[in-house]
Amino acid sequence: MISVLVFLPALFALALLCVPRANASLLKGIALAGALGTFALSCVLLPVAPAGAAQEVSDWIHGAVGAAYHVRVDGISVWFVLLTTFLTVPAVWAAFSYRDLARLRGYLVLLLLFEWTLLGLFTAGDLLLFYIYWDLMLIPVFLALVAFADTPSARRAAWGYLIYNLAGGLVLLAGVIALVLHTHTFEVLNGSFPFTPVLQRWLFAAFALAFLIKTPVFPFHAWMPAAYTQSPSSLVAIISGVQSKAGLYGFIVFALPLFPDAAQYFAPAMLVLAVCSILYGALLAIAERNAKTLVAYSSLSHLGLVLLALFAFNFTSLPAGVLMIVSHGLIAAALFLLVGFIEERTGTNELAAFGGLAAVAPRLWVYMLIAGMAVLGLPGLSGFAGEFLILIGAWQTQPVYTSFALFTVVLAAVYALRLLQGTMHGPLRVPADVPPPRDLRPRELGLVAPLLVMIFFLGVWPAWLNDRVPAQNPAIGHTTALVQPR
Amino acid sequence: MTIQGVNFDFGILGPISVLVITGLVVLLVDLVGRAVPRVVLYGIGVAGCAGAFIALAPLYGRSATTVNGAFATDRFSWGFSAVLIFTLAVTLLLSSLRNADDGNSPASYAALLIFCTIGGLIMAGATTLIGIFLGIEELSLALYVLAGTGYPRPASEEAALKYVLLGSLASGFLIYGSALLYGSAGSVSLSALSAAASSLPLLFVIGFGLLLVGLAFKLALSPFHLWTPDVYEGSPIAITAYMTVAVKAATFAVLARFVYTVFGHDSVALVPLWLLAIFSMLVGSFGALRQRNLKRLLAYSSIAQAGFMVVALSGVGEYGLSSLLFYLVAYALMNLGAFAVIAMLGDGDEAYADIDAYRALFYRRPWVAVALTLFLFSLAGIPGTAGFYGKVLLLEQGFAGGPWGIALALALIAGSIVSIYVYFQVVWAMFVPQEGEQPVTAGNSWLTWVPVAVGVAGVVALGVIPQVFVSIVSSSM
Repeated sequence: MISVLVFLPALFALALLCVPRANASLLKGIALAGALGTFALSCVLLPVAPAGAAQEVSDWIHGAVGAAYHVRVDGISVWFVLLTTFLTVPAVWAAFSYRDLARLRGYLVLLLLFEWTLLGLFTAGDLLLFYIYWDLMLIPVFLALVAFADTPSARRAAWGYLIYNLAGGLVLLAGVIALVLHTHTFEVLNGSFPFTPVLQRWLFAAFALAFLIKTPVFPFHAWMPAAYTQSPSSLVAIISGVQSKAGLYGFIVFALPLFPDAAQYFAPAMLVLAVCSILYGALLAIAERNAKTLVAYSSLSHLGLVLLALFAFNFTSLPAGVLMIVSHGLIAAALFLLVGFIEERTGTNELAAFGGLAAVAPRLWVYMLIAGMAVLGLPGLSGFAGEFLILIGAWQTQPVYTSFALFTVVLAAVYALRLLQGTMHGPLRVPADVPPPRDLRPRELGLVAPLLVMIFFLGVWPAWLNDRVPAQNPAIGHTTALVQPR
Repeated sequence: MTIQGVNFDFGILGPISVLVITGLVVLLVDLVGRAVPRVVLYGIGVAGCAGAFIALAPLYGRSATTVNGAFATDRFSWGFSAVLIFTLAVTLLLSSLRNADDGNSPASYAALLIFCTIGGLIMAGATTLIGIFLGIEELSLALYVLAGTGYPRPASEEAALKYVLLGSLASGFLIYGSALLYGSAGSVSLSALSAAASSLPLLFVIGFGLLLVGLAFKLALSPFHLWTPDVYEGSPIAITAYMTVAVKAATFAVLARFVYTVFGHDSVALVPLWLLAIFSMLVGSFGALRQRNLKRLLAYSSIAQAGFMVVALSGVGEYGLSSLLFYLVAYALMNLGAFAVIAMLGDGDEAYADIDAYRALFYRRPWVAVALTLFLFSLAGIPGTAGFYGKVLLLEQGFAGGPWGIALALALIAGSIVSIYVYFQVVWAMFVPQEGEQPVTAGNSWLTWVPVAVGVAGVVALGVIPQVFVSIVSSSM
């Protein structure tokens, strides 16, 4: 059943290829049905979340180092799976407005293939399988940037995205192979392995480098602004909403449990990187003149918070981190989609080129307000719940780093309000050759609404998610010693 | 059968015998018939390949010698021989294309290719220094001529001349090295050399060093690769495809047999080999970065890939040979597939090797572009392809192979990182939509679709279910 879930989007992508390119309405129907069907199927997995794990194992590779086709969903990964399937629906739906109908099919196929690789990653129980999806997920985004974004700068951004992430992936591959030579199997999730401290540190460093690049975390974020800004908004909603969580997922499920001592050893360095990302991302967002890039930098800042939570090693680290991950996924996807709607109307993302849209598009204004307030961390919205839990938890073990991170609350307010003010308030300004923008259409209202509803829901009842996340990774018996709340 | 004290087992010599007969039949048909169409001649050659496969099949998993112990079928020869025969068949198919260069003399072209492959098969099975040298010379002499069959294209003439001049020099190193090795052991048999390999007398070290130079030249290991880009670019497409795979297969068979039977364990005398490999991986990857001609790009890539394959031997581990063979088969499938696509676009015309012919190819010939993309992904080691699992196996050997093995594995990672751009720039060119005038790439011959389809199926199968193939390889040993 988990395998069915993973491969369902790929099957729908194949089905799309069998439909003639000209039949746009059928293409749209199949793509949306694929995304909705995958989401519905993933909802069935939710009940397993608090209890143990659901898994399927079958034979794959024997030999010197064995591997199994092992897929699993447990209390942690179920949230990543749900986030993926939930965000793909609005992303696919938003892609309906892709400007060239003749090429819509290819774009929808890539979106669904992207979902497949993400689901594969979050359900992989075997290190080889995990690695395969880790690299494979780069291909749909690379091809989408090259073939479907239609600007020379997008094609350049594709190189930064690919080379950074694939290079990180190859370092991870070196780490994976060096690891399995000591375990003699790629099935590392259910055992404990005595590594020498030196080996542990090298392996952790190889894993961490790949994870930090993909998240990304300062100073490995050089590929991010261009790739996020140049991607079509339906694509970047998934990249920022889901793919950026792949590295954090790797830390939670593989790096931290496998190398607990090395994690402690590197914790100060990781905390420094986390704080740098939090502050530097926020400052860049404040200075940014492009709405999409601004949201990208806010992403850098918020994911730094999750890294802070994970390496603060306290009892709320994991639940708070997962809550923040889900919340950020929802907020980032909503914001990128809304900025994409603005881009479709004004033809630009430069904050200087337009403004005052609230006057002509009140519904867009309401949506932007909710998403903007969620970024800012307004109590009652999910952004607040995640940030608050992380900061209060991290404060107990790492007060120094956390006190630096606290500044993000103020800085987030600055850039979130700048985004809102710059786009929505003041007198109406649009580029000269653009007609006055119209308000959100029913499709656009409908596709972002579920995201905003979930932002509200997790804001008022974070415990619904929090209580379902175990404080320790259930897949591994031994984990880093956690600090109980005082 | 024994002739003048030498025993011949025509079961073991089966594949070679079949190919000898095929080569002679091709020449005879051309002699007897008038203006025989070349498709017929190459068809006879392909049929001969099928026959050679049938002769090879019963040798699977067998270990025996013939010609008084000078020729063997064993774990070193079977897999490599299969790759050689497969490469010959694909090369013959690609040579049959309408615009393919074959020097307007298809019979001698086909016969030379077949004899060339026989040289490779002798290399794979030879257990003496003399046998190895004979095989190498038969392979090389035929290839010198074949490189020049693009005549009167000046690049092809240049290729042939460069190849023959530098190739003869390398042969000199080989024969001199073999002589010194014979001097150190008192026998030309490889098994007799292992005693010398454990004590490493000076004569043996010098002899092995010279032999290594000769083999490195054939494998295009850097710094003995200087001839490679020009020769690969100038030779006809089919011959370039053949050179990249068949010469590697045959020479790696020799190298593996040497490393495993003469040394049998990691030795300080092998350090030069590891250094050559590290150098090749870096030089090949960096050299390929700026290439705009696909044949030249794949030439540099083949330098790097030869370096990758050496990683399988590092530490002389238990699974080294099967890892090498797995990667070699993967390389044969993906590289021959890529060359088949190049040949397809212009029906064998050399002009279609330039990267400009591939701009926006996806929008003109989607299936061709997808197939080439898959081959390039495999060469780059993207997961889900044969090249990826091959690299996993190579890295396993490397990281288990002591300090030099780890250095080799890290060089493999570094080379792979550099070559991301190499392979993806072609993918990039194919997928960027482009308006305006576009090159005509109408070639669509089934002769090229056969190797492309086999390549796609093989690359995916080896990538997704490698176990099936790993079992086949390990039980052939």
